[in-house]
Amino acid sequence: MGGSSIAQMNHNEKKAFLVKTSSLKDVRSFCREVFEKLEIDQNLKDELVLAIAEAAQNIVKHAYKDNPSSNDIMVVEVSCVDNKLKIAFYDRGTPVDPEKVKHRELDNIRPGGLGTFFIQEIMDAVEFKDGKKPWINHLVLTKQL
Amino acid sequence: MKFKVTEDENISTVFLNGEIDMDIADNVREVIFPLIDSGKEVHLNMKDVQYMDSSGISVIVESNQRAKEKNTKVELKEVSQPVEKVLAMARKFL
Repeated sequence: MGGSSIAQMNHNEKKAFLVKTSSLKDVRSFCREVFEKLEIDQNLKDELVLAIAEAAQNIVKHAYKDNPSSNDIMVVEVSCVDNKLKIAFYDRGTPVDPEKVKHRELDNIRPGGLGTFFIQEIMDAVEFKDGKKPWINHLVLTKQL
Repeated sequence: MKFKVTEDENISTVFLNGEIDMDIADNVREVIFPLIDSGKEVHLNMKDVQYMDSSGISVIVESNQRAKEKNTKVELKEVSQPVEKVLAMARKFL
């Protein structure tokens, strides 16, 4: 997936967002602004924003499904070193079991799991790491530009 | 968020716009589902949708399933380039 880019500079930026569905547009805006600075082309930028938004949505939908009125924050960190883009997510929701985070079988016609499919299609790697205090979940998406 | 809806005989056209995500998806359902439930054919005009994610795809899939149950149909019209791209990716999966 994706096209070429000219993200030659090293960069790191992060921002905190309330874990709410209303924050998703702000997550997208933040990422679009960072990708503008990195001069990532429009086609790839659209794909990356989709993958990031789906990951943030998963935090709201799954990690906080038992606590929808929480005022917790999640942090999104975008870094680019030597043309390797890394997007990290930190949250304090229900611990994610990586074994359960997979898209459903292709012959099962339901939309559930589509967001995870998009993330896996767009990114090179998806890793769940141990969240270091105060965080519980730490998801890292990477893509070679 | 409000969406313009036009009526032409037995066809209702919903003009979606902006960014369709999890925060907006329920609003979209609230507009589309009653039209389907009334037995009308529903057209979703997507020309002004700049962004759509899996939540928007879910709304389309659910609308299609609901329309089948009501013996009617849902069609997408004037699909914007960003939406077409997401639909293309989703077709690999759905």
